[in-house]
Amino acid sequence: MTTQEIAGLIDQTYSPQTWAGLAPLLTLAGGILLLLFVELFERLHPLRAPLFLASLIGTFLAHKYAGAVGPILGGSYIVDGATVAWGQLFLASTMLAWFFARQYYRTSLAFLGEHDILLLTAPLGMTVMAGAGDLVTFFVGLELLSIPLYCLAAFRRRRNDSVEAGLKYFILGAFGVALLLYGAALTYVGTGHLDLAGIAAGLEGPGRPLAFAGLALIAGSLFFKLSIFPFHLWVPDVYQGSPTPITVLMATGTKAAALAFLMRFAAVLPGSSANLIALLAVLTMAAGNLGALVQKDLKRMLAYSGIAHAGTVLLAVAGTVAAPALAGDAIQAVLFYMAAYIFTAGGAFGILAWLEADGDLFTRIDSLRGLARRRPWLAATLSLFLLSLGGIPATGGFLGKWLVFSVSTRADLITMTILGVLLSVVALGYYLRVIVAMYMEPEPAELAPPMTERAWATFGTSLCAWMVLILGVLPGWFLGRVF
Amino acid sequence: MANLLFYLMATLATVCAIGVVVARSPVVSVVSLLGSFASLAIIYLLAGYQFLAAVQILVYGGAVMVLFLFTIMLLNLGDPAVIHGESEPLFHHSRRTLLGLGVAAAVGAAGLIAILRVAWSAMPQPAELPEGGLDPLDQLAASMFTHYSLAFEAASVLLLATAVGVLVLAKRNRRPTAEVFPRESQQPATPSSPPTSTPSAGAQGQEVAEEGVLS
Repeated sequence: MTTQEIAGLIDQTYSPQTWAGLAPLLTLAGGILLLLFVELFERLHPLRAPLFLASLIGTFLAHKYAGAVGPILGGSYIVDGATVAWGQLFLASTMLAWFFARQYYRTSLAFLGEHDILLLTAPLGMTVMAGAGDLVTFFVGLELLSIPLYCLAAFRRRRNDSVEAGLKYFILGAFGVALLLYGAALTYVGTGHLDLAGIAAGLEGPGRPLAFAGLALIAGSLFFKLSIFPFHLWVPDVYQGSPTPITVLMATGTKAAALAFLMRFAAVLPGSSANLIALLAVLTMAAGNLGALVQKDLKRMLAYSGIAHAGTVLLAVAGTVAAPALAGDAIQAVLFYMAAYIFTAGGAFGILAWLEADGDLFTRIDSLRGLARRRPWLAATLSLFLLSLGGIPATGGFLGKWLVFSVSTRADLITMTILGVLLSVVALGYYLRVIVAMYMEPEPAELAPPMTERAWATFGTSLCAWMVLILGVLPGWFLGRVF
Repeated sequence: MANLLFYLMATLATVCAIGVVVARSPVVSVVSLLGSFASLAIIYLLAGYQFLAAVQILVYGGAVMVLFLFTIMLLNLGDPAVIHGESEPLFHHSRRTLLGLGVAAAVGAAGLIAILRVAWSAMPQPAELPEGGLDPLDQLAASMFTHYSLAFEAASVLLLATAVGVLVLAKRNRRPTAEVFPRESQQPATPSSPPTSTPSAGAQGQEVAEEGVLS
């Protein structure tokens, strides 16, 4: 290859379009580097918070104004409408985690700067995952998301439960990544391609069985991140042990990122796998909802409820696998569902983070008894989030469920959809139990110490509450913005 | 001949990889890992990836291994059975072990069936190896800086994040709580408790207890 050839190749690759597509990623990376620089000098530390927020807002604007430019870098990164929408949702999830992390930590104060840096790395990995057009890019994005989260899960390193959460997450995450790499290798042998378009074309060739084995393994690794049965067992322990602001990010952002790539990946999966995926979805809903019914700890209950929600949204994935013509509706349903889930679950975990302050108090449902008399607004907001998680009309959660079930019904997965709806009704049982405890039960004899007022957490919670209501009442506002 | 060498090296790589997991002494683990890396490098060479083989030897066999060995030697780890005066079997004969083995066998069998069902004769066969190997540097660089440039650059951010994460998990507290171990603090956390200059054995013990599992 001559020098002119290389120069020509580089000119061709790095067109203004490419830079526009990469702009959000570059903004985030620039923010990370600036935060690292600020850590060098103690006098610059007050700049941490403005810089963090500026990076998020800058990336948001970059997503908005650069827009969907199509596949770039030879198709290894696809910036379509979905990538842009997912990217903005990841930013929202990160911002919520950051709001709730303000004044949360009491003992790990020394590393708050590093906390923010790691927190800002996660959406970068998520966005790379959402736009990945081939398995290599996806793998790097997945690691870029996972490794900061392993460290953040173990962030309160003096507490055994936090270290345990980090270690469990790391070991099982490494196992999931090994599945992914093994699957990618088999797929490559079977089809000769690592990019999704090439894999889809290569599935017609003689390497079909091997490629299917590989695709199954890759789907397994995605299901692990998405906490789908039978890869869901790590979730309660990890969510419970992690610092609650990090649980916000894990429960909402990570799930959304795995789902974003799964929607792309679903185009490659054969239509015959739709029934299996739908069955897994219903089993996941059953495992999550039945597990949540017996929990006494609110954080653990929300973790099980997160498993159930992952199962619900997987029904839409099964729908798009069964009927590829529904792909547009399915991605819309999944985006809306996750947007509602990010603000609902983000708000619920956020209130928990606010109540408990560094994991010391208040995670049992018993300690919430009579909260409505002491903190009426807080109890009302938490009830709103729980009702939205349960799928009561006029909240974002209801409409998300409606869109998902309508996709799976139109894809002829009737039995599984009916089972899914029934299991969603079961879920109301444990959501209502918390509301009953807050409004109708007497306060416990020994009251917990009064919680501190935290401006950021108040702001984050009210933002979530407004978004849940807006998504529930004016869904056209969101759907019109995305597509 | 090349086939025979491939099977030999593949077996060796697998045996060494198992050795990494089951060895009791960390040094034996590391040396097994080295054996695994070296056999992989030879497999790369057999497949025609000369540059990759060289990098494998230089980076993994050389730099990474030396780092591992240095760390282990500096930490002065020995055989845990000797240190704790007890010897536990690595795998208990329990129902879980059987279950794990069963699942592994099922997955292996499924993979084997998939491989056996592939029509190898119809698969595109590799041509004769070109003179400069399959990965001449300029083509490798061209694809790395165009098609895969996002993965390549994202990997650099990944390494940065890993470094920050390791620091968070392993570093001693920059600003320790003044009452517990004031001797380390350059600037005391509160002005009312000035740092004592003499380190004491008691403070050391307290610090270990306070720092917990990871440091």
